[in-house]
Amino acid sequence: MYADTQNDITRQVVRVAQLLLAYGAESELIEEISQRLGLALGLASVEISISSNSLVLTSLVHGRCITTTRRIREHGINMTIICELQRICLLTEKGIYGLNEVRKRVSRIRPKSYPKRYLIPMIGLSCGSFCHLFGGDMVAIIITILAASLGMFVRLAIAKRHFNLLVNFAVTAFVTTLVAQMGYHFDLTSTPKLPMAASVLMLVPGFPMINAISDMVKGHLNVGISRWGHATLLTVSSVIGITIAMQLGGLFL
Amino acid sequence: MVFNVPKRFLPYCALAGATGHSVRTLLLHINLPIEWATFVAAALVGVLTISFAKRHLAPPLMYAVAAIIPMIPGTYAYNTVIALVQLSAQSQVSSELTAEVISNGLKTVFILGALSVGLAMPSLLYFRTRPVI
Repeated sequence: MYADTQNDITRQVVRVAQLLLAYGAESELIEEISQRLGLALGLASVEISISSNSLVLTSLVHGRCITTTRRIREHGINMTIICELQRICLLTEKGIYGLNEVRKRVSRIRPKSYPKRYLIPMIGLSCGSFCHLFGGDMVAIIITILAASLGMFVRLAIAKRHFNLLVNFAVTAFVTTLVAQMGYHFDLTSTPKLPMAASVLMLVPGFPMINAISDMVKGHLNVGISRWGHATLLTVSSVIGITIAMQLGGLFL
Repeated sequence: MVFNVPKRFLPYCALAGATGHSVRTLLLHINLPIEWATFVAAALVGVLTISFAKRHLAPPLMYAVAAIIPMIPGTYAYNTVIALVQLSAQSQVSSELTAEVISNGLKTVFILGALSVGLAMPSLLYFRTRPVI
């Protein structure tokens, strides 16, 4: 194998790993996919070192190593891309895809998300069902749906303008809690506490937490800990938003 | 939906989530502690999602996380941090608030641990040396 080819393959593999990490796959999956892809494309071995915001990858063929580093920027979680990359890896392993097809498919990947008009009502509905599960009455559920939809609208609007995620969570939690407090102020429902607990559940960073623990369980301690820290920070910032809203409403202290 | 799961996989996520949650509710009814109930439910979801993943050639975690979101101890976490903020706003440490922080916080951590270890059970026990798909 010539040096150019090795360069090319390594570049594709590291691109795949970079996309996987940026769109929120767990470390075990990243390592597995990039190693399998590398082997399928003809490298002798692929070693990868992952940290929370960068990755280093070394490929080895015929006693010749190439090491590259990539910086990762967080893009939020997008499972469509991860599915696509896993499929590319599997098809390559079966020998259907060669290097050129892999390059074409990888360069064609674009982050695609659901349109706002579906996303916002669905979030409202799911928070409403949480409220129902906790045992809230009808009015409480409606309040929850309203608050969560409005919060999601704010969250998407802020995310579009590329603010820091922590600021985003704080503001969203503030708006959501402000709306969810209605039950206290206008005496609409017999369970005024539930909308407040249920509507902020959309802000719980469940995916980073699960990713963090499953990383740590599978031995990627440093990535797991940094993801855990990130999830904790997000929770704390949304709590700051909630607290400010509650103090404005005079509910506490 | 927040995680942009492709449209054709959404029903499977819903199915897995419903299974997990109903199993947990069932186990809570026969007076199992919530941590164990969560663990068993998560392990079941793990097995279920691996069979989905094999059929569709998609990462199992995609179904699993969507399925597990309803079981995340959001209310416990919420209570913990609210009590913590109240604690810091007071001039002296009150024992009730401290007790609330500790008990809710411990519940949160243990339920989360049960969830993700339960979810990882199939790959820890059965798929030790080979990849899932």
